[in-house]
Amino acid sequence: LQSSENAGIESDLSAFEALFQSHGARMKSLALNMLGNRADAEDAVQEAFLKLYRSRGNFRGEASPSTWLYRILVNTCYDMGRKRRRHPEDPEIDDKDFSPAPAIDHPLRLTLQKALGRLPARQRDVFLLFEVEGFKHAEIGTILGIPEGTSKSVLFDAKHALQGFIRDERRATRAS
Amino acid sequence: VSFRCEDLQQALGEESPERLREAEAHAETCDACWEELALWREISAAAPSLRREWETSTLWPRIQTDLIAERVQSPARRRPGTVGWLSLAAALLAAVSAAVFFVGPRPQRIDHADAERRLLTEEALAQVERSEAAYIESIERLAKTAQPLLEAHASPLLVSYREKLMVIDAAIAECRGRIETNRFNAYLRRELLSVYREKQRTLEDLMREDKNAL
Repeated sequence: LQSSENAGIESDLSAFEALFQSHGARMKSLALNMLGNRADAEDAVQEAFLKLYRSRGNFRGEASPSTWLYRILVNTCYDMGRKRRRHPEDPEIDDKDFSPAPAIDHPLRLTLQKALGRLPARQRDVFLLFEVEGFKHAEIGTILGIPEGTSKSVLFDAKHALQGFIRDERRATRAS
Repeated sequence: VSFRCEDLQQALGEESPERLREAEAHAETCDACWEELALWREISAAAPSLRREWETSTLWPRIQTDLIAERVQSPARRRPGTVGWLSLAAALLAAVSAAVFFVGPRPQRIDHADAERRLLTEEALAQVERSEAAYIESIERLAKTAQPLLEAHASPLLVSYREKLMVIDAAIAECRGRIETNRFNAYLRRELLSVYREKQRTLEDLMREDKNAL
């Protein structure tokens, strides 16, 4: 994959397709959780590939091309979020949009999704990258432009905050 | 070393397996820490369920069209000052080259790099047209699916959808007409795809509307 990714940076269209085949699903998922709807998520992925193509001359090889691609994607999502004035605390993810339903469902999913929308963007993004999409802290550092240690501490803060939200939600449910 | 309740947060932050084992041992005898640890792990266990997957057969064709259009545009953009009309001719591309040839000064000999670039561009154009066709076909299929809904109701909401789709179709027709006169214009092709994208969004919104609301 690494060699095909490098070839991709050399503007080979088939390598870009390989990048898309390898990372497209994960990119769409990340963008969906950041932007809140499917159409915007697809637009962000499309835009990220175009930006990767345009900026391939600036690639210096400090990170893998795919990590670089995710960095572009995250920045694209920030830009789109600002432009389209989406409200992160009110994600519009609609389960009807997904067929089939998520393969790995969990009873806590809806609560967690709601709670995530209330986190500061940085905490939400580190959580999404680490816990949802399975990136390592070193990769997250590169994607978000933060030190690896910061990624770890932000994740801790995010999970701590989520614990609080979930506890409150459960208390409210019990009370009602 | 005895593990105390106040050590739990630090252990969770460190994520060291040894400290976590100590935390687990402590939690066996402490309800509050047990609950804290359980919820911590529950969050991690639930997180992968937020990962969403869906099929989008049109996304790669859209990206491919963008990349090829970019490739078509980029020689002119990267080399703006290169030798007068020759780079202009490269930017305007081979199909209109015959006309351009007689307007500008003729080069002394054929530049092989330029010839290669033209071939690449013609090949690229063919790829763009194939990708566009696949994308447009998928949207037209969506339009056919939405057609019965559009015809079956006459609510104000539906009328506004119809009007919007008419405007979009008019924009598509105009864009197509302009492309006919300059098939190599990557900017126009992007415009066309972006109008089709709007049509796709509108149709998807329409299909999502509550049938009762229509």
